[in-house]
Amino acid sequence: MKRTELQRFTYAQRVVHWVVGLSFLLLLFTGLAFSYPSLFWLTALVGGGPAARAIHPVAGFVFSAGLVFMFFMWVKDMFISKTDIEWAKAIKAYASHDRANVPPTGKYNAGQKSFFWVQIVLGAVLLLTGIPLWAPAWGGKDFSGDFLNLMRFLHYLAALGGGLFLIIHVYLGTVAYPGTLIGMINGRVSQGWAKLHHPLWAKEKTGS
Amino acid sequence: MKQSENSLSVKRVSASAEPMAPGIRQNPEIAKLVDISRCIGCKACEVACKAWNDLKAEETFNFGSYQSHQDLSADTWLLMRFNEIELNGDIHWLIKKDACLHCEEPGCLYACPSPGAIVQYENGIVDFNQENCIGCQYCVAGCPFNIPRFNKETRKVYKCNLCIDRVESGLEPACVKTCPTQAISYGTKEDMHFLANEKLKVLSERGYDKALIYDPEGVGGTHMMYVVPHGDQLAAYHLPEHPEAMRGAMSALGLFKQIGAYMFGAGLLATALHFLAVGPDRPDDEQGGSR
Repeated sequence: MKRTELQRFTYAQRVVHWVVGLSFLLLLFTGLAFSYPSLFWLTALVGGGPAARAIHPVAGFVFSAGLVFMFFMWVKDMFISKTDIEWAKAIKAYASHDRANVPPTGKYNAGQKSFFWVQIVLGAVLLLTGIPLWAPAWGGKDFSGDFLNLMRFLHYLAALGGGLFLIIHVYLGTVAYPGTLIGMINGRVSQGWAKLHHPLWAKEKTGS
Repeated sequence: MKQSENSLSVKRVSASAEPMAPGIRQNPEIAKLVDISRCIGCKACEVACKAWNDLKAEETFNFGSYQSHQDLSADTWLLMRFNEIELNGDIHWLIKKDACLHCEEPGCLYACPSPGAIVQYENGIVDFNQENCIGCQYCVAGCPFNIPRFNKETRKVYKCNLCIDRVESGLEPACVKTCPTQAISYGTKEDMHFLANEKLKVLSERGYDKALIYDPEGVGGTHMMYVVPHGDQLAAYHLPEHPEAMRGAMSALGLFKQIGAYMFGAGLLATALHFLAVGPDRPDDEQGGSR
């Protein structure tokens, strides 16, 4: 089959995706170092403990700002529809590559849509709980120790959730579905890829 | 990892496994005992603390109290807190020596994520090693007595080290040496308990029947203890009634972190197993051909 390509992501979308993705990895590695003494050596990746402590909140702001752009760039495609619920019911067939029993999807399937919403919510939790942890004495006023400890707990839970979703995201985007990663790099996917993963979107794009 | 510049035996190190070897030497616990009933509020101890530890003077102002500064800081490790209250129609002057209590179960150390930044010695001293401090201030949140203070310029946390350099050489802490009324005593923890009980007897003869020894159990006892004449007024002394060591500890989150680590590992394993079971779903125009 001849390889023809369809435009899937704009330049701006790709930039935002990688800003969010790489800043999340930086946050994950430094955050793991703060959470697990046995992983403290990860701070060496950014130049030691004090550097990791200084970089983590700044990277957090970059990540949060990226998420805001991400939200506005993608939200119009992310509303859950009736087909999405049917798709979710067929998750078993989807997971075993049994495409015949998966309802055809448009530009995004229900899995991608839930990933979007979960990351937006977790990102908001991480930002809101991260601010007091960044500056326990904000504007000369101290947050109480108990409050900061609660923030740390919620920050940890949200990061764990984000990390778990990231595993699935990276797995599906690379080895599980060949042809996906390149779409996020040069913005284009093959027609075959589109027909396999997003048949309704492929039809809409090619008009056939 | 530099843990100490002294010859004292180490008991606990932040974000590290429990001590490597049991102590061969006997290490008696030391303690300061602050008899609040003997304090005249002269603040000589504050000056001695600044002088010995080379801490710079901080400008202050009259805010309507005999207290010298409004709060502890990275350069003020000891502050006599003054509180005037009315008790049974009389004005009473409550003074508290506000400085690190050197807990047996140190909340700061348990909360610290940086290996070697906080060290507890066998003699009870809890010391901050700024060269290992990353400036996260978890210790500030972990301390039940609100003692450690962050310096924004150095981005490190500081507090009283019980004059570890003097103690190691067999000298008493600077505040103890300078106190003109012997309101602060220093010795083994056992001796200080004995002395505290003697002081309690005297106080009760003088009519202070609520007097007590402040050596709170929630933090395993402390290495600065107080004889508190008005034992029913702990809040007015700014002394927490039930301080707890574990509230900010790494290990208080420990169970969740352990579950979290397993979940993360299980996630990676699940994707690997999934890939082995069903392999890639390859479009027929991608390299490698149809599946």
